[in-house]
Formats: sequence, structure tokens, C-alpha cells
Amino acid sequence: MFDVLIKNGSIVDGSAAPAYIGDIAIKDGRIAKVGRVDGSARRVIEADGKVAAPGFIDPHTHFDVQLLWDGAARPALAHGVTSVVPGNCSLSLAPLKAHDRAKLIGMFQQIEEMPPEAFTQAFAWTWETFDGYREALRSRISVNVAPLVGHSVIRLWVMGDAANQRAANRDEIERMQALLRTCLEAGAVGLSTSFVDIDDRGWPVPSRFAEFEELDALCAVLGEYGRMLQCVPEFYAMDLTIARIDQLAELSIRHNIPTTFSPLFDISAAPNNAPRAIARVEEQFARGARVWPQMQTRPIDISFSLLRPSLFFARLPRWVQVLRLPLEARLAALRSSDTVAKMVADLGPDGGEAMMGGLIVRGGDAAPDEVVGHRLSEIARDRGEAPGMALIGLSLENGLDVAFLSASMGHEDAERIGSMLAHPLVHIGASDGGAHLASFATYGDTGYLFSEFVRRKGAMSLEQAVRKITAETADIWGLKDRGRIEVGRHADIVVFDPDLIARGEERAVFDMPGDGMRYVRDSIGVETVLVNGVVSYEHGAYTDARAGQFCL
Amino acid sequence: MSADRFEAVILDAHIAPGHDGAAELMVRLRYPNGAEQIISLEADIGFRLMRSCGAADLSGLAGHSWRRMMSD
Repeated sequence: MFDVLIKNGSIVDGSAAPAYIGDIAIKDGRIAKVGRVDGSARRVIEADGKVAAPGFIDPHTHFDVQLLWDGAARPALAHGVTSVVPGNCSLSLAPLKAHDRAKLIGMFQQIEEMPPEAFTQAFAWTWETFDGYREALRSRISVNVAPLVGHSVIRLWVMGDAANQRAANRDEIERMQALLRTCLEAGAVGLSTSFVDIDDRGWPVPSRFAEFEELDALCAVLGEYGRMLQCVPEFYAMDLTIARIDQLAELSIRHNIPTTFSPLFDISAAPNNAPRAIARVEEQFARGARVWPQMQTRPIDISFSLLRPSLFFARLPRWVQVLRLPLEARLAALRSSDTVAKMVADLGPDGGEAMMGGLIVRGGDAAPDEVVGHRLSEIARDRGEAPGMALIGLSLENGLDVAFLSASMGHEDAERIGSMLAHPLVHIGASDGGAHLASFATYGDTGYLFSEFVRRKGAMSLEQAVRKITAETADIWGLKDRGRIEVGRHADIVVFDPDLIARGEERAVFDMPGDGMRYVRDSIGVETVLVNGVVSYEHGAYTDARAGQFCL
Repeated sequence: MSADRFEAVILDAHIAPGHDGAAELMVRLRYPNGAEQIISLEADIGFRLMRSCGAADLSGLAGHSWRRMMSD
């Protein structure tokens, strides 16, 4: 008798082969049989009209801390994500000495916009070593976890306060190598580093003080295990990113390791940037290097409030002048009818309809519920005001703590993005799941892949899209026996409606420790998710299963 | 500080979304040899650049030396 039998699904097996109707039998957490299956099972899932595919793999997340109180990395699991890679961008929760915790929390707070309460209220922080972190997670996880270890915390462990003050000496580099080795032995899937980020004091994070000799030595250790180097390059300047691609290629070839970098996105103001990076990646792959650029599926929005000056207004001199005033002076200026009249006049004869009418009130702050999710055009009409006036009025009435969103301002050209996502050397990822909590929702990129790039634009077939976020990801990261519907593989399976799968609208929820707010998107069209053969989500609800494993 | 012909100058600037969802300044530079590059600046630095150039809006950035990005 099988444990689970998925019947009559359209099997998309992760290889990009055409879908076919069949059954999937599961026994002891693994796929036991695929095709027409006779025999009984303790649980039968009817999948008529639905796709049964390998569970999706998210290779760029910051779920390190959330997994400690929410093993499903909600709502990632509901979107069909069965495996996540935390520990990106040089930051991980281990190895870390107890007295360095505040420093790491500050880095997570600054870089990934996580509230400090997330680290202090929801779990007992009992470990220092990577193995200890793994043990702390072991009984809690409902998704599979392939954790990276952060370069910044490795430096902190070995160098203490000097970690973000200077280069390491030979002895320190050797101790870092030994420490990295213990983390890899304990199940780390690779090392993450950053050439960009700053901590809560505005200082470069420790990994940025590493000289090439240090990174090279750490990559030599990765080479002993064939594990991944992930990095955040200087993405604000493409010439520097190109130089990093070349450096990653050298490290990849020299140590025979895979490397990946993120983010890479397409901006109309710099239309050559992403194509240049991909062209360089092609050259380096041709040399034998493995340098995988990670590209997100979702477009990038701009959000702002009048609490802080935003460059959104940089074309409007009077707005810039007012919004750069100290808070009290800014409030006074915005209460001046004469000043506001001039500001609105600067928006043109339509009172800001063209520039601001499409802004959406986001919620999660002081915005009244009745306007959350509404366009400024509608709100202005209801108030009998011009949009510019309504934006100022609504902000003033709520202590300026009202966030507005200008949707799809970048990485939004579906024709261009679709062809890039379909490129065989572009790695779909960079979701940042679990991070940037109060800025935007980092969930649902997989649903968006299907709704936008498979169904609406036809940039790739359903089978190709599934392969990109399952088998291809497992192969890039070396996740053994994941990402395919094949006999003997781990039974990570998502059953979804191919005509419906999508991401929901962004909404604010207050489910972080300390009632902290974050933006999320619900899943649409995902019916059942199995992790290692155990039903972990079905029909809109999470089960009590804790079947996640560490995967390598 | 106006640009001389031996250093990179700002050609123009545009607003674009940054990785973290904040508006950023995309500044296009031209080097003396004719090469161009676009650099993205976050809000604090972008506003500082505008102040340094005495620019009331983005159009006021054109023609200034790239060094303005580093001055306060």
C-alpha cells in the first residue's frame, strides 16, 4: 500500500518534457511509481484537470529567522514552494557568538528591513554554531531548507570587531576556512557574500572588507565540496557588475564551483544593463565557468510616504524643497494653503491626475481602511479635490504615515523580461522571500511566472516554466533528488490549476512577532502541496505537518 | 565646480525604482573618451547630488562634473 496516490493529474515532471496524464504513487517520502498506478493508498488525491509538478524551489530568501517560528515560511508554502535557500547576501543566523547577535540583528534590520522583535520575541536563541542552528530548525520546518552560510558572520566569528574594519591576515583566513568547512559539513549549501550592503550604522558589512585572497581561500573550501558561492554585486553600476561576473567566473573555474549573483533586473532608464550582464554570462559559461544571474519575475514598484523625502518627486522643485524640510517645518509648510496651492499648481492643469492619479494607498500604516487599496484618482474624486491635493490632505490627516505605491515602475516590460527569464543561463530567483517586510511582498513570484509569462505573454511553455523553478534550480544548487517527478526522488509535489495559478493582490498583515506588519500576497490556484510525501497545504489551509528536511 | 573636458560629466538623470522599492536616481555619465555609464543613486545621495549641483530638479544636473556625487 502506498502512502499517497495522486490520480489522473497532468504530470509536468520538471524536465520540460510534454505534460502527460498519469498517477504518482508515494511511499516513505519518495516517489515510488509514476504513470498508471494500480494499488491502494492511505490517501488519494484526485488531480483531474490539474497539474502535478515538482515543488518549486526558491533560491534567494531570507527566511533564516522566520523559519524558527513559522516552519512553512508562510505564505511561500501556499504558493507551492517546497524548498527555500536562506542565508543569502552574507547574512545567516550561524555561526555567531552570542555577544555578536545585536550586530547581526542590526544588519538584518538595515539590509532586509526586518524588525528586531523578529529576533527577540518568538524563539529562544540557544545556539552559536551552524550545527546548532540546524538542530534548532530541525523539528520545526514544513519546507525543505538548503541554507547558505554568510561570509559576514564567518568574519565576525573569527575577527570580532575587526571584521568590518580591515582585511584578514593569513592566520585569520585559515581559521575562516576551517569554520566554513564545519558549516559545510553541517549542511550548508554554500557561502554567501556581499559587495554592497551596509549595517545599521552605515558601515560596510564585514564581507566587504575581504580582499580577493580571502574570498579565493574560502572558495577553495567550497571547491572541496562543490558548493555554491552566492554574491550581491555592485548592481548600481553595471560596469562593476560585469567585473564581478568576471571575478566569479575565475573563482568558478579555479575551484570548480557554481556561483550565482543577484539581483539583476531590467530598467527602462538603463535598457542595456541586463542584456550586457547576460551577454557576459554567456561568454563566461563558454569558457567553462558557472555564473548564474538570478532574475526575479515580479515587476518593481516604487513606494513612498511624505514622512521621508522620496526621489519620486525629483522632477518637482517645490515638492523637493518642502519634503526635504525637517519634519515640523515640513508639516507647517504642508498646512500652508498658499504653499500647497503652489505645489499642486506645479503638477499641471490636471492637478496631478497624470502623475499621481494611478498611485495606490497601500495600508499597513496610518491610512484609514476605507482608502486602502484604492487609487488616488478615486480618493480625490470622493474628496472633491485634485489628486495632488488629496495626496497631501490624506497624508496630513494621518501624520504623514500613509504609503503610496506606484506600481510596475521597473522590470515591467513583459516582452523583454519574458525572453530573459526563458534564457537558458538565467536563473529564476531573487524573490528575497522573508525580507523587505514593510516595503513590498516577496511572495508569489512563482504564480506570477505562470500568469504573466506562460498564460498572458506566452514567453515560455508551462513545462519550461516548471523546469526553470524546479529541476533547473535543483541542478544549479546541487540539491540531490529534488526538482523532478521521477521514481526515487523526494516527493515534493505541487498540484495546481494551470489556468488559475497566480499571485493575489498585495495586502498588509500584522503577523510578525510583536504584531509587526508585513506585506504578503496570497496564492491563487494552488490546491495541494506535499513536502517529502506529506500533505502540508491543501485547499487554502496549512496542515500540521513538519516534514521539511535539510537538502543537499 | 563645473566640469572640465578631462573628466566625466553628467549627461542626464532619470527616476527609476531601486531594488528595495524606493525611487532612485539613474545618472548617466559621459567620460572624456566618449564612453557612457549609468549609475544608480539612492535617495539620500541623489538629493545630496541635487543640492551640490544647485539643481532645483533633474534637468539642473546636466553638465556638472561627476565629482559632485562625492561632495556634500
